[in-house]
Amino acid sequence: MSSSSIEQRQTILTRTVLIGMAVIFVAPLLVAFLTSFKTPSEITRVLSIPSQLYWENYAIAFQRAGRTFLNSILITVPAVMLSLLIGAIAGYPLAYMRGSSGKVVYFILLTGMLVPFQIVQIPLFFLIQKIGLYDTIPGMWLVHTAYAVPFCTFFMRNFFASVPRSMYEAALIDGCSPNLYFWKLLLPASTSGLAALAIIQSRAIWNDLLFAITLTTSDSARPATVAISGFASSLQVEYGPLMASTVVSIIPVMAAYLLFQKSFVRGLLGGAGK
Amino acid sequence: MAQPKSRLTRTDWTHIAFLVLPALLFVTFYIYPVISSIGLSLHDWDGFSPRMRFIGITNYTVLAGQPRFLHAVFNNILWVVFMLIVPTGIGLLLAAILDRGIRGEKAFRIIFFLPFTIPAVAVAAIWRWMYEPDNGLVTTVMKVLGLGGFAQNWLGDPSVVNFSLMGAVAWWTTGFAFLVFFAGLRNIPTECIEAARIEGATPWQVFWKVSFPLLWPSTIIVLGMAAIDAMRLFDVVWSMTKGGPAYSSEVLATQMYDLAFGRFDMGRASAVAVYLFIIAGIIIMPYIVYMSRRVQDSEAE
Repeated sequence: MSSSSIEQRQTILTRTVLIGMAVIFVAPLLVAFLTSFKTPSEITRVLSIPSQLYWENYAIAFQRAGRTFLNSILITVPAVMLSLLIGAIAGYPLAYMRGSSGKVVYFILLTGMLVPFQIVQIPLFFLIQKIGLYDTIPGMWLVHTAYAVPFCTFFMRNFFASVPRSMYEAALIDGCSPNLYFWKLLLPASTSGLAALAIIQSRAIWNDLLFAITLTTSDSARPATVAISGFASSLQVEYGPLMASTVVSIIPVMAAYLLFQKSFVRGLLGGAGK
Repeated sequence: MAQPKSRLTRTDWTHIAFLVLPALLFVTFYIYPVISSIGLSLHDWDGFSPRMRFIGITNYTVLAGQPRFLHAVFNNILWVVFMLIVPTGIGLLLAAILDRGIRGEKAFRIIFFLPFTIPAVAVAAIWRWMYEPDNGLVTTVMKVLGLGGFAQNWLGDPSVVNFSLMGAVAWWTTGFAFLVFFAGLRNIPTECIEAARIEGATPWQVFWKVSFPLLWPSTIIVLGMAAIDAMRLFDVVWSMTKGGPAYSSEVLATQMYDLAFGRFDMGRASAVAVYLFIIAGIIIMPYIVYMSRRVQDSEAE
């Protein structure tokens, strides 16, 4: 049977491609992880396995950047919640409004997605200084919430539009006000969309570098990305501590994606499948 | 609920109340700074002195004749082309292979998506290490394979550095394209594919004639995000090379940051930002128009 042998050869080919790609995808992460446990003398041998778990790299990383990791958490958690809230309260009227005024507002908010942050960067720097939020964590909450408006609105509007409209009409007939409907019925029914958006936003905010280097300067607000960027681009790089702090910076968002993978894919399907 | 009267109903007022805060943020953090940047770009200002000197469009004309600026524009365009083709293409290929139902599908799915979750600065740190000229993984593996002669000073050679950066970014962003395409393929009704198979189409034909056209919603998301990311690109370049060596890997975003916060030439930096805004607008506007149209179409149904 020649057709089955062709099929077999195809299966072998696709398997090889997949495994080859998987190695390329995993190798840098694995090397970073192994390097973070190597002593300075072992580091130059990339392909070797560390002879012992050399925790010193992590100790140095925490000593240099420990406070910035705490800042990253203190910035990300509230900023994610605030950006979800703002996306939801903007998305709700835009999903339910009839007529063209809603579409115009929606279009204007969407154009925010094409604005390169560079064109707001300098005025933002002076604005945040003027209102006294330069180099503060609440300043970062405000900025991350504000720049999340276009995407979160887009996401939540599309999610709300997929919630059956009959629910809305039934609630109004029962005498529920549009305001109460949003808080008591729509938001609780939207947890899967909110969860997917929360993961997307956690990644965006936790990983941000541009706003952080523009608007923070000291350890009282500087997040880990700024510290790591400084280590990585310096002329003499100590790879052991650098890889240790990199591994720590990777773990939270990666863990969140692995844990909530299902709801993320579902949220994405809802958005992409429309 | 058709209202015969033109007065606003209670529902309308609720809607407006909900929109007040987002609109306020949008005006304060998008519209005001954009206008302010355009104003700044017409001045000569170091960011400190109380007076700005109005110099008209001088910043724009000087930039237009500057090799450093033109090189950054060229690099940005190179990045857009690269982002539209490479991560998107590899992502589509991987999704198409995995969709055929392979053993260990779940593990592969996680592996291909993992790099996308990590911060840009982590990508930069890891690949700085991968590209280390003497004992980085890339050079080491090439030596093991007997290709040591082809090893480069990956980040130190101006003619190589852009491709090295692109390699790192491809590794980072392919997972997003992959996952969106994979989700899209799963959304295609199996009847369509079965029908084509029964008609005697080869898997190759099924993919290009049936699956790929039906993947359009996913494709448009992936391409749009790729173009936006390419124009905004900053973190990876800044953390890996700061635009160097000798400005060879500079993009508009890193050049603008260097001019503004390294040299305190706020006017010139704003002009770079305005150029970037215009180029991004030309490339991305059709996408935004398309997205808001699609919403209207789906509502018209």
